[in-house]
Amino acid sequence: MKALGIDVGSLTTKAVILGNDGILASCIVHSDDEVESSAKTAMEEVLNLAGVSLNNDLYSVSTGVGGKSVSFSYKKKTITTCLARGISYLVPSARTTIDMGAESSTVIRVNERGHIIDWVNHDKCAAGTGVFLQQMAKLMQISTEEMSKLSLQAKSKADISGTCAVFAESEVISHVHRDPPTPKEEIIAGIHFSVVSRIISLCKRIGIERDVAVVGGVALNRGLVKIIEEEMGFGILVPDRPQIVAALGAAVIARENIEKGAK
Amino acid sequence: MTVSQGKENKLNSIIRASRIISRMNQASPEARKSNTLYYQMIADYYTRLLEASKEGKFIAAHTVFFPTEILYAMDIVPMHTETTTWMIALFTGHSADMLSAGVELGLASEICTPHRGLAGAFALGVLPRPSVMLWSNLVCDNTAKSGELLMEINHCPGFFIDHPFQRSEDEEKYLVGELRDMIHFLEEQSGRKMDWDRLADIVARMDRQIELFREINELRKAIPTPFNPQGFLQLLTIDYLFPGRPEATKYLETLRDELVERVKAGQGAVSPERFRLMSLFIPPMYLIGFLEKISQEYGAVSVTEPFFTYWGEGALDPAKPLESVVKKSYMLPEMRMYGPLDERALNGIVNCAEQYRVDGAVYYADVGCRHTCATIKLFKDVLDRIDVPVLTLDCDVVDPTITSEEDVRDKLEQFFELLEDRQ
Repeated sequence: MKALGIDVGSLTTKAVILGNDGILASCIVHSDDEVESSAKTAMEEVLNLAGVSLNNDLYSVSTGVGGKSVSFSYKKKTITTCLARGISYLVPSARTTIDMGAESSTVIRVNERGHIIDWVNHDKCAAGTGVFLQQMAKLMQISTEEMSKLSLQAKSKADISGTCAVFAESEVISHVHRDPPTPKEEIIAGIHFSVVSRIISLCKRIGIERDVAVVGGVALNRGLVKIIEEEMGFGILVPDRPQIVAALGAAVIARENIEKGAK
Repeated sequence: MTVSQGKENKLNSIIRASRIISRMNQASPEARKSNTLYYQMIADYYTRLLEASKEGKFIAAHTVFFPTEILYAMDIVPMHTETTTWMIALFTGHSADMLSAGVELGLASEICTPHRGLAGAFALGVLPRPSVMLWSNLVCDNTAKSGELLMEINHCPGFFIDHPFQRSEDEEKYLVGELRDMIHFLEEQSGRKMDWDRLADIVARMDRQIELFREINELRKAIPTPFNPQGFLQLLTIDYLFPGRPEATKYLETLRDELVERVKAGQGAVSPERFRLMSLFIPPMYLIGFLEKISQEYGAVSVTEPFFTYWGEGALDPAKPLESVVKKSYMLPEMRMYGPLDERALNGIVNCAEQYRVDGAVYYADVGCRHTCATIKLFKDVLDRIDVPVLTLDCDVVDPTITSEEDVRDKLEQFFELLEDRQ
């Protein structure tokens, strides 16, 4: 029996197939309006990549904002539990994990067994999220990938509010129209710093213990991760595919259930 | 600032709802007898208040943690302002109107909702107009200022009890003096005399009631615990509205006997009991039904509430009634929050967690209550010492616009998964 984990996020849906020897396949698809169809698309794609047919026995666990609406999953688990399991699988030394998703951020602390000690969510405001960064990239008329590269070249950071996405946007516009305009890379570094300051204050609510890992789509932004490292004063671990960690955690839980003889 | 004239107060909404619940309980063989008694008591309390209001009798409105024993001894009809306001809000669904009315009075939206809504309720005429307003600085500075405003809104005289911050022999004497002054004020205003023998009887019954609270707490240590998940809120109301009243003794004895039976039968409040919780502060009132339901669904039950049901040590002496009223005010579970939170107070929380064998704690962080929210980190750290995780649930005790049921469900489910993982 194969273990399938599905994480239905607000922008993308991730799926992971876990075999006895590790990850067989993983995929990321765009989430559409229907949670069920996004989950099915992700499942079909990951099965295809793994060369596993739907006829094979599958035990699936779903998570994420749409996780509860996936009718074919045997168990629905919260994102925090799945993140903890996923990160312990990929980076066993991680004790603090920062998940930066499209519309929310979560920080969890785990013990050596991968069990959660504490967690904190930020999901009430756009500031400090992936969607905010997308919006800023659009405003600067560059891609998010370019943002990451330019940020690494910045020599200093423009002052951008970390409190409110709306204020931050008007500050960016003001920097662009300044005479002379603030250099693009400094504005971007400032935007990243505003996101990081939100994340750091979130981390401080539950305490920071090393090693620290950053996961979620925003973790692909090297420029932003560098600023987190500067603020924390030590290196941060980023797994190869940081977006799939929660889906992987769901698959790990699915496998645990298979081992317990559940069906 | 004035009370809306010509509007009928909404006490009837509490009376009607309590009578219906009480009748439904009587008709149900599974319902606890104590629960039926509780709603009868609530209906009777508000019927008495409603009649007093209609007949123009002397009514003393008072804020929370007020020594109501003195009012009962003087045969004065009390009105617990916070409980009355929020019961009306619960049964009529008009909390938004009361909170908005408070804002119109000039109370900023950041001011804690219980006080903002309370002022709004008086301004709207939802509560009957009192003859006097009585208040103290227990258990926060908001309460101290709130009383002044309520007196102004109601155009009535008032008396403020200055409750000393610390406890010592001198401070207890000072508080006795404060109570004597208040009794003198009430005698002048109401034309009634203090009945010291009656106060002694009330103190004797209060002493018995504290013993019963302790017995109930002991029974709640059983595994599985016999008392229902949010049942502790009834215990709070009993002391808020009926201190030293014979009906309170009857209620507590009935409840104690029911719990004894349940413990003997190994019958838990939730089945199976999976998570034993400590509740820190008060859950959102408008979500009580939901919290009861989710507790049953996940087998989670509040077994101890250090700031609401865990009485301080000591006994009351009917031979010294006024001194005993003062002593009781220092024995209140809520007094742990008043004054410096020293090691002794923090160790009390740890002892509670250990004695009741809790798996986790839920901190209901009322966003408007700054002095309680300042303790989040303190309590988390102290409970972390004994490996008890704490869920901090940002919420508001009465305003449903702060946190939705769905949000609370998400947070609790995450917490229950965390607890499950640790088992």
